[in-house]
Amino acid sequence: MTLSLERSLPRTVAPIPEPRRRKPLAARVPGILRHAVLIVATVLFFGPFVWMVLVSFKSAQEALAVPPTFLPTEWHFDNYSRLFQIAPFGRFYLNTVVVAVLSTLGQVVTSLMAGYAFARLKFRGRNVVFVVLLAALMVPFEVVFTPLISLLSSLGWLNSYQGLIVPNIPSILGVFLFRQFFSNFPSEIEDATRIDGASVWQRFRLIMAPMATPMIGSFAILSFVYNWNNFFFQFIAVNQTDFFTVQIGLTLLQSQEGASNFNLLMAGSTLAVIPVLVVFLLFQNQIVKAISGGLR
Amino acid sequence: MALPRAFKNVGSGGDRRRSEEKYRRRSMHEKEGRAGYALIAPTTILLSVFYLYPLLQTVVYSFTDWNPGNPGNTQFVGLTNFTGLFSETSGFPRALGNTALIAAIVVPGSMALGLVFAALLDGPFRGRSFYRTMIFAPHIAPTVGSALIFSYLLTPLGGLVNQALKPFGINPVPFLTTEPWAIISVIVFIIWQQVGYTMIIFSAALSTIPPSYHEAAKLDGAGVVRRFFSISLPLVAPTSGFLVITGLISTLQIFTQVFVLTSGGPLGSTKTVVYWIYEQGFQFFNGGAATAASVLLLVIGITVTVVQLRFLARRDTIEML
Repeated sequence: MTLSLERSLPRTVAPIPEPRRRKPLAARVPGILRHAVLIVATVLFFGPFVWMVLVSFKSAQEALAVPPTFLPTEWHFDNYSRLFQIAPFGRFYLNTVVVAVLSTLGQVVTSLMAGYAFARLKFRGRNVVFVVLLAALMVPFEVVFTPLISLLSSLGWLNSYQGLIVPNIPSILGVFLFRQFFSNFPSEIEDATRIDGASVWQRFRLIMAPMATPMIGSFAILSFVYNWNNFFFQFIAVNQTDFFTVQIGLTLLQSQEGASNFNLLMAGSTLAVIPVLVVFLLFQNQIVKAISGGLR
Repeated sequence: MALPRAFKNVGSGGDRRRSEEKYRRRSMHEKEGRAGYALIAPTTILLSVFYLYPLLQTVVYSFTDWNPGNPGNTQFVGLTNFTGLFSETSGFPRALGNTALIAAIVVPGSMALGLVFAALLDGPFRGRSFYRTMIFAPHIAPTVGSALIFSYLLTPLGGLVNQALKPFGINPVPFLTTEPWAIISVIVFIIWQQVGYTMIIFSAALSTIPPSYHEAAKLDGAGVVRRFFSISLPLVAPTSGFLVITGLISTLQIFTQVFVLTSGGPLGSTKTVVYWIYEQGFQFFNGGAATAASVLLLVIGITVTVVQLRFLARRDTIEML
């Protein structure tokens, strides 16, 4: 009431546009200072990525030139084709896409199902299982990897897609996110369909899952980025180049090209980094929301 | 107490109906229950197979001389693995020390910088979301790629950092291959990656502070700095506690950064606990030592979390009083 009053007042009473006045210089100093600090921060935090892309088009000599050049004097687009000759980066790319997409799909589907069940369905042992999940969140993957790899080895899953994907699928964070989402969701719609005789599956498939679309989107993007960036697990689960992902391929490149061909190294890094940065720039609001919202 | 017969009939009819209703409801609950189990099954089964079972194995193997390359003749060896961790030749204490040093600088460092940026980005102004995006980008970029950029920037001959230091009369420093510069470089790199995250979390916390608090303090003549320390800082304290936990847990797991930047060197000066475990398990096939160190890592992680949660819980109640 008061809000609408306040908003309507200026519109009816003061139609005369106020002349734009520049603030006195002294009042603008904090603002200028803030921009100065943030511009320096931008250079320090984002500058390295710009430098990476620029160097990826330079010659090996120019990459280490003293003094450094900003733009390449000659654009070496062939750095990228050379990269594909040194190592099968096409294959690495395909592997990364397959692993990241299928892991993400698996994480979204299983977390959505479990999150819904924990939030909305009553069954014996629900809270016990949930507490176990909570506790498991405290155990980092780094604690279990030695026996996990020998388990994968005895399953014959080392150097295989299923070995790279399946162990990644259970996502406790995802279960939490969806549980929280469904818990905060008003129950009236679901109750109405329940009275109309809809089964649990129908309610889940036709009502609840579609309602969760924004949450699914946020979690899927976040999960895709994490799966794309994953290195440690993939690195120890795979030792044949056929199953290398882009990240492992980069370390291979590092050991082969070493300190001599930084232009190729930066071309490889560009291939690994750019897809993530593009996804991030397109969906940053969802990513930020999932990161800051899911953890409180 | 005895009811008239007529009433009883009604009652029994009602009972029947009620029991039918009850039956129907129970079967509905049973159906819901079964659906519940089915829905949580994929997550719980996969988690049990690929997480809880290896966890159990980690604990069991830590008391044996398990060799991942030859698991056939595994013997129980008691606490030998645990005492062996702290022998002079194991190199584990050094790795533990390095990890603790990284945590001790990265956690407060990334939190302080993140809070400063969150405060600078608080409130609407032109360019705000641009700056936020730029500072957050390193957190979302793949570690291997970013670490390769750093290894290039830090290279002694022709690297940008050394070229920038030249006008100050500083000779080229081989940052990644000499002590103590290697671990300093690793720490700076991890802070660079983490600041975006702490900034986002602090931003979310700052945005929940009602603007009226700041307005009231402004009327009382409090400046920007005073308001930051007297209003913003105390009100984001619970968030800080959360970030300390997640920060410590994530620095306990540091591997990739070190692997790409320094490979643990020079002379083990940047080797972390996870890197040590990786070496023992996958290069020396010393599964007993690897799992014993894993168990220790787990105990440290759980202790940190429990202590922090206790501490936080107490502080929250004080705040409520």
